[in-house]
Amino acid sequence: MKLKLYADRMSQPVRAVIIFCKKNGIDFEEIRVDIAKRQHLTTEYAEINPMKQLPAIVDGRFKLFESHAILVYLASSFPGVADHWYPADVFKRSKIHSVLDWHHSNLRRGPTTIVRNTVLAPVLGRPLNPEAAAEGEKFLSASLSKIESIWLKGNGRFLLGGNQPSIADLSLVCDIMQLELLGETERNRFLGPYKEVQQWIENTRNATNPHFDEVHKILMKAREKLQNLRLKGANNEGGESDMKRTLHSRI
Amino acid sequence: MKLKVYADRMSQPCRAVIIFCKVNGIDYEEIKVHISKGQHLTPEFAEINPMKQLPAIADGRFKLFESHAILIYLACAFPGVADHWYPADVFKRSKIHSVLDWHHSNLRRGAAPYVFNTTIAPILGRPLNPQVAAEAEIILSSSLSKLESFWLKGNGRFLLGRNQPSIADLSLVCELMQLECFPLTYTTPVLDEKDRTRLLGPHKKVQQWIENTRNATSPHFDEVHRVIMLAKERQQHQRLKAAKNEGGSNMKRPLVSRM
Repeated sequence: MKLKLYADRMSQPVRAVIIFCKKNGIDFEEIRVDIAKRQHLTTEYAEINPMKQLPAIVDGRFKLFESHAILVYLASSFPGVADHWYPADVFKRSKIHSVLDWHHSNLRRGPTTIVRNTVLAPVLGRPLNPEAAAEGEKFLSASLSKIESIWLKGNGRFLLGGNQPSIADLSLVCDIMQLELLGETERNRFLGPYKEVQQWIENTRNATNPHFDEVHKILMKAREKLQNLRLKGANNEGGESDMKRTLHSRI
Repeated sequence: MKLKVYADRMSQPCRAVIIFCKVNGIDYEEIKVHISKGQHLTPEFAEINPMKQLPAIADGRFKLFESHAILIYLACAFPGVADHWYPADVFKRSKIHSVLDWHHSNLRRGAAPYVFNTTIAPILGRPLNPQVAAEAEIILSSSLSKLESFWLKGNGRFLLGRNQPSIADLSLVCELMQLECFPLTYTTPVLDEKDRTRLLGPHKKVQQWIENTRNATSPHFDEVHRVIMLAKERQQHQRLKAAKNEGGSNMKRPLVSRM
């Protein structure tokens, strides 16, 4: 039975798992669970993942959730996955665990929080939350600075000075890619100061293309849609406040 | 060269690593890094862990931080660690990874900021933030429910229905032990046991599981937790004192009203 992957490509850990499968020739069936339609909250899906989150996999009778755990599982149990993705060497492997754990309590709390509380909030029918977004910005800036100065230290093209990507590169880069939803100006405001981070994103993209671009296509489309919405909103606002100004000046 | 563990036993992931070493007979040197004195922020410690967090280890020339990664490393690199702590079987191992990942974004994000903003902050000279505490309590409560209903489902004595503890049991239980340093506000000094009961009370399996993990790692568990038990006592003492003084301030009121 083929590996089943429960996924919505708008979610960054989902993208990491899909890209990993495609890049490593792992045969899988992608089962769409639309977050915007709240399909991840249904009782049917709770049978797959009681935490009601994405991604999740079913491999025969074996069910698993949490994207890092899934990436490790896939790298360990599918033959043909090159060692560099999740090295057998205990020292190298431990360093990758360290990056992945760090990801959870640092970078992971940046892009998602910002995006959810700014551009995505109106789409998901939630109020904008500038305070939460500011908190996310703090995590993002601190994390990017640590990636640049610590994880990308040295001459390697990937995290931990490696010359080939690991599951950690894929996981972290997919997370940062979420910033695309903010539009180019905002994205560049965050990433601009970090040249090494930018180069590393490009290296990871190149190492996993054409799959990387293909799996991120949905994100780029969403970015366009959000941009149009913003433009429309700005026009309306501009129109209104211009009207008001004219009115006021007449009074 | 002996394994070096940089630790402050007030920190829950430090305790998990220390208990793990002791239970498994791993010979190590504990190097105290006092968080309350800001010793984790020094350039010397940054040489060990550039993220300036605890715990961290140095095993020969190999340095590592993040407690889950450390536990996995120790389980793999030291002979004599029983398989149940971190099973070689890929399916069992994956489930443990899943719990550990879940811990990061759920239980940890509830318990840690909750305890910090209800208890620990003033000790470190930082203000309590009731709003953060309230948000954290929501995450904490929901995490406790998930532990009870999902991770402790079935008849096993430990997470994932197992009958022997894994590194996940140790890591999560040490996190929950942080709730021992309750309570909340300085204004209601008798709330502590009540609050602990309020949070843990409805979750019988969780309570039993904490006890099972404690028993499975005895006597090291209690020994390593002594420092937070002492902190708790000190705090209760201070609170009683504060309560008396406050009682004193009640005295002022009648005086004022008489004037």
